[in-house]
Formats: sequence, C-alpha cells, structure tokens
Amino acid sequence: MNAILQTLVSTVVQGSMLALIAIGMTLVYGTLRVLNMAQGVMVMVGGFAAYTTVVRTGLPTWICLIVAAVVTFLLGVLTYYSAVKPLLGRVGVDFEMTAFITTFAIATIVQSVVLLIYGPRQKPFDPLWPGRIDITSDVSITYHSLIMAAVAIGALVGLGLFLSRSRYGLAITAVAQNLDAARLMGIPARRVYVVTMGIAAALAGIAGVLLAPLYFVYPNAGDLPLLQALIVVIFAGLGSVRGTIYASYIIGFLSAAVAIYWKSAYALPVLYVVILLVLVVRPNGIAGKPQEARL
Amino acid sequence: MLEVRDVRVGYGDSVVIDSMSLDVAEGEFVVVIGPNGHGKSTLLRAISGLLPLKKGSINYRGQRIDNLATEQIVARGLVQIPQGDMLFPDMSVQENLLLGAFVHPDRAARAARLAEVYELFPKLSERSSQQARTLSGGERRMLALGRGLMTRADLLMIDEPSLGLAPVLVDEVYERIAQIAKSGITVLLVEENFAHVREVADRVILIENGGVVLAGTVDEVLENEAVTATYLGIGGE
Repeated sequence: MNAILQTLVSTVVQGSMLALIAIGMTLVYGTLRVLNMAQGVMVMVGGFAAYTTVVRTGLPTWICLIVAAVVTFLLGVLTYYSAVKPLLGRVGVDFEMTAFITTFAIATIVQSVVLLIYGPRQKPFDPLWPGRIDITSDVSITYHSLIMAAVAIGALVGLGLFLSRSRYGLAITAVAQNLDAARLMGIPARRVYVVTMGIAAALAGIAGVLLAPLYFVYPNAGDLPLLQALIVVIFAGLGSVRGTIYASYIIGFLSAAVAIYWKSAYALPVLYVVILLVLVVRPNGIAGKPQEARL
Repeated sequence: MLEVRDVRVGYGDSVVIDSMSLDVAEGEFVVVIGPNGHGKSTLLRAISGLLPLKKGSINYRGQRIDNLATEQIVARGLVQIPQGDMLFPDMSVQENLLLGAFVHPDRAARAARLAEVYELFPKLSERSSQQARTLSGGERRMLALGRGLMTRADLLMIDEPSLGLAPVLVDEVYERIAQIAKSGITVLLVEENFAHVREVADRVILIENGGVVLAGTVDEVLENEAVTATYLGIGGE
C-alpha cells in the first residue's frame, strides 16, 4: 500500500518535471523541425542562475525562479540566432540534421563556459520550501516536491492557455500546422520561432531550479534531463503536445515503479528497453502522427 | 493598385515565369487564366513574397513590395487565399478565422469582422467550434475564403477557388466571391476554367508558359476567336 502511494507521488512529481522539460522540445520541433539538443543545458543554466541569485544577492528563493526563467529565455533566443536562424531557408542543407548538430554544439559551448566560470564541483541548493509532510506513518512528501509538482503543473496549464487563447500562442500552433498558410495570414514566422525557442528554454530553466535541490548544480546537470526528455519526445511522437504530456507521466510512472519496486539504477535501462519496444511497434510514437502537420 | 513588371520567378535554377507584366486597378475583378503548371500559382506566391524574384519588380499602391516579408505585404492589405485551402487542420473554425485577423490586434475590430464573416458564411457560424479537418470540401473552401476576409484585405488574391469542388458548390463559391468583390474589395483570381469566371470578371489575362498571351475585358478576349479556341476551349461563338 505504501509502495503504491509512493509510486503515485513520485509519478506526479517526476512526470510533471519531465513534461516541463520535454514540452519545450516538442514546441520547438513542432514549429521549427529542430530537435533542440540545447534543451538540457537550459535546465543546467536555470539551476546556475538560481544558485547565483541566491548566493550573491540573498533574495527570496521564489525570485530565483523568475531570474532563471528570464536568463534561459534569453539563452534560448540566443541559441535561435546563433544555431538555427543561419540555417533557415538555405538551399541544399539538410536542415533537421544540421540544426540537430548546431544546437548540440551550442550545448557543448554553454557547458564549457559554465565549467570555466564555476568549476566542476557540485553545488548544493536549498529546497524552495524545506521540510516534509507525513501522509501515512511510513510515507512522507517533502514540501519541495509539492512545489515541484505545483509549479510544473501551473506552468504547463499556463502554457496550454497561452497556446489556445492568446494571439501569439495560436500563431505558434498555426506555424506548426501549416507554415505557408500562417505566413499568408500575416503571421511573422521568424518572430514566432524566436518566441517559441525562448519559451521552451524558459520552461527548462524553471525545471532546472526545481531539480537543483535534488541533483545539485553543476555543469553536467543537464545531461540526464536531456536524455530523459529525448526519451519522452520520441516516445510521444515528435511534435505532439498532448502526446508529450501523456508520455511524460507514463515515463515518470515507469521510472518511479522500477525505482521503488526494483532498484533505482535499473530505471534508465528499463526505460530504454520500453522505448525500443514502443518504437518497434509504433515507429511514430504513441501520439502516432506521421511526418506532416503536428502540434 | 498592383503593378507586376517584367518579373522572372522560379524554383532553384528552373524558371517558371519570365518577363511577365500585369496590372490590377482598384476595384477591379481580374482573372488570370491558363493551363495547369504554367505559372499561375507561382505568380501569386511571388506577389505574396513567398518566392523571391529573380528579376523585375512588384509595386502595390505605388510602393515596391518585392523586397518585403510576407507578413508585411499582408499587413498592407494584399492578401492571398492559397490553393487547396491550407487550413489549420487541428484548430477550430473560429480559431482559423481569428488567425486570419492576426495582423489586427484590436479585439473589438476583430470581433466585428468575425460577425461579418459569419453573416456571409452562416455555415461557418454553425460549425465555429468544430475542427477544420472535419469540414466538408465546400465548407473548407468557405472557411479559407472567410479566413482571407478576416485579414481586411484591400486586394484579395484567390488561387483556383473551384479546385476539387462539385459543380453546384463551384457556383456557390463564385456567388460569394462576387459578393466579396461587390463589397469593394479588389480581386485578382487565378482559374483554369474560363466558364467559371465569365460572368464575374472585369478583365481577363491569359497566360501560357510563364508569359502573358492576351489581356483585356471579357468581351475583348472573346472576340479573339483564335485565342478563345486555343486557350478557353469554347470555339468561335
């Protein structure tokens, strides 16, 4: 009974975090057809932005969430201008593959710069809200994981409203569904690209702050999140927002269940076996749309 | 209002349109006629800024637009309704329409325009929350027209609105387009079948192999028996 409860809590927390990171990759792939390999370093930079804010200024911790979001938004925009925009509309360039490599290059550069500035040591980061609450005599949840789930779900709901209600949000979806039609309606595709890459990075940055107390702040802190987000978006079927949400919680559940009922070291290998099986059966992922219009 | 001068356009190294010139005056209903694959859609794509010119110039209201981005051209009131509708398939009818008004952020004006479009196309109003992909062929065409109208275009370019529609629907679509033209919007329409536009067009421009063969009023074009026999398939009457 307790194990079930623990698995459930873990699924919600991990699934929400995965969704927060992976949804950005989905948005960018949906609009730009770029598998953004820099999404992981956004998580890492978010953690460093928060760490620096708290250590240097002593401002309240919730402000570091905003600082991290702003810093990573700008870094996302910078990634667009340096790694993606120069490739747009180039004849004879395999855009998807080249952008995959250039965003990976950005990730490596950012990681190296952070390493130069901060060094390789893992830096501890306090939970946004210390303490824990007992659910039963054996199962307790840290307040921080409650905050993780609440902030992540809040951000995802906010994103959903933005995409479905606001002028620019609808424009993002329109560009993803039919680029030429969107342009013919006067939607500035390139500005949509910038905004999308900024938002995607900011969501990862927020995730980075939330993950920092669990995994520390260090230059490679984005590697595992990137790997997990890749599993999620491929499992979901690249570019599908709804599929990404489902996939996040399924993957979250799997890794929680394996960790709790078996051994946490097996969580990642088991995920890879599952993803392999899923892709053999459904090569386009669970959302199952073929190459064209997505999101 | 629109002046296309000595334009050359193509994809990659191939040239589809060469030294083409044409004019559209304010309030006119001009139809470009020609067989498939002879550059009609390419012409509209070039005017909309989706394809760069290799040569020549395009002016709209006296200003050069061939160096502008598509969204800037749309914002000036020169709007294209593309061939095959190109709807946003997984969005509702209303969302499709609202995206047509993207260049006009003013909510009140947008709502007013939406009401006008729903009045012109009552079917769209009934289906406003339905996903675009679930519409019938005729309804999709109406939605494409409605979405184009939402932009508040002064000059509307329409690419083969009859394509793939049953004859009875073609008549209905052209009725609506005539209504749109009567409301004061200048129309530049591309069509393969002369019979569809005979009643509505002020002027006809025949193109073949990427160049203009003949241009004039409907009557003038019909007088030229050699041309009508060859290009319009309606023999000397």
